[in-house]
Amino acid sequence: MTERESVTLLGLDPTSGPLERRDDRTFSSRPESLDGAVLGLVANGLGQGETFLSAVYDELGSMAALNGAVSVLKSSVSVAPEPADWARLTSEASVAITGFGG
Amino acid sequence: MVNAERHEYPSYDALLDDYIERGWTDGLPVVPPSPEKVEQFLEAAGLNSDEVLGAVPTREVVVTAEHAAINAVMAGCRPEYMPVVVAAIRAHLHEKANCHSTTGTLSGASQIVIVNGPIRRELEINCEGACFGPGWRANATIGRALRLVIRNVCRAIPGFLDRASFSSPLRYSFCFGENEEASDWAPLHVERGHSADQSTATVHSTMTFVPCVDFTSRGPEEVCESWLGMLRRYGVFTDRFLGDGQNLVLVVGPEHQRYFLEAGWTKDDIRQHLWPRFQNPGPGDRPVMLGSPEGLLIVAAGGPGMAETWFMFPHLAWAITEPIQSIHTETGRR
Repeated sequence: MTERESVTLLGLDPTSGPLERRDDRTFSSRPESLDGAVLGLVANGLGQGETFLSAVYDELGSMAALNGAVSVLKSSVSVAPEPADWARLTSEASVAITGFGG
Repeated sequence: MVNAERHEYPSYDALLDDYIERGWTDGLPVVPPSPEKVEQFLEAAGLNSDEVLGAVPTREVVVTAEHAAINAVMAGCRPEYMPVVVAAIRAHLHEKANCHSTTGTLSGASQIVIVNGPIRRELEINCEGACFGPGWRANATIGRALRLVIRNVCRAIPGFLDRASFSSPLRYSFCFGENEEASDWAPLHVERGHSADQSTATVHSTMTFVPCVDFTSRGPEEVCESWLGMLRRYGVFTDRFLGDGQNLVLVVGPEHQRYFLEAGWTKDDIRQHLWPRFQNPGPGDRPVMLGSPEGLLIVAAGGPGMAETWFMFPHLAWAITEPIQSIHTETGRR
């Protein structure tokens, strides 16, 4: 190793940590089929989001025997669903669909 | 004492290659953030490394002074810029500055830092000709430091939590000062309740940044009519989360400003003239959804020549103004 190569430069990690989760949370398992599923439809209020999600429900309903929907309209594009809406989704829906935009 | 993980490199080139490989830069070279330099920056701001500057709850992120210092070093800041960087981060992490939305949005909104008060001249933050462009170390590196924090600490990484379709070159860096000496107009920070000798940083998340060029108007009412045409074409939108606090920033160049000054118009006179006209959009006009005349923020800047005013249309956020804490103690620590 030359003298120049032996110089050690220290650099600090500028991040708030690894992007991978370090806790035990995981994604929910994906269902094999939507037969009998209750669909959570989470609209963020932008554009024709509710109409679009309703159409998605109809389309999925032509492929599987759905068992209804839990529709949630967020109070704002900038926030997560309200606690009561989370409770409805987690207790009543077996699958949830949402969109991203803004 | 800094706590971040340390990495050793045999050369600057090796460090730079590794930082780029890890996704820790904006694509441009960075200054190596050595522990000594980071300590120096913390000292300059009078902050302990673990002092919390803010958080992004939806991302489970807490931003500390150490994060700010590391990224400010990387951005090329001088230590004395650090208090401005800290104020800008605090402003951006205000709940209503809406970090999660404004840095994740498909629209590629950018964060603009406007500096007021004596520190502009002390740090040579450009407020005059070419103040939006390259060539000014303080402007370039303070704005870049905020964006590196947004990327590295707040995790707004393209393709991950930054979902911009095109993004924007304004996201490399955007910082300038108000030209407070150009007139007797009340500076932005004074209008927002700070004393004239208190320096501040205002952060405004901007979706659309466009000039209103008008060489023909010769009076304040005519210039206002040109502005109204632009405002009605783009509009200002809001949502329930933001309530009535949304802001629109107009940066008035000297060629337009002089018509107002010659007629004796203050910033508030401009707002009072424009406000009723916001309330009456015509067919095809987009609404200007500001909660009050004070939602319109008027800033003087730029150089002579072009008769223009620049519009900074918001992206679902309030413009937040934070005081810059100057250090006058022997140790630097507060």
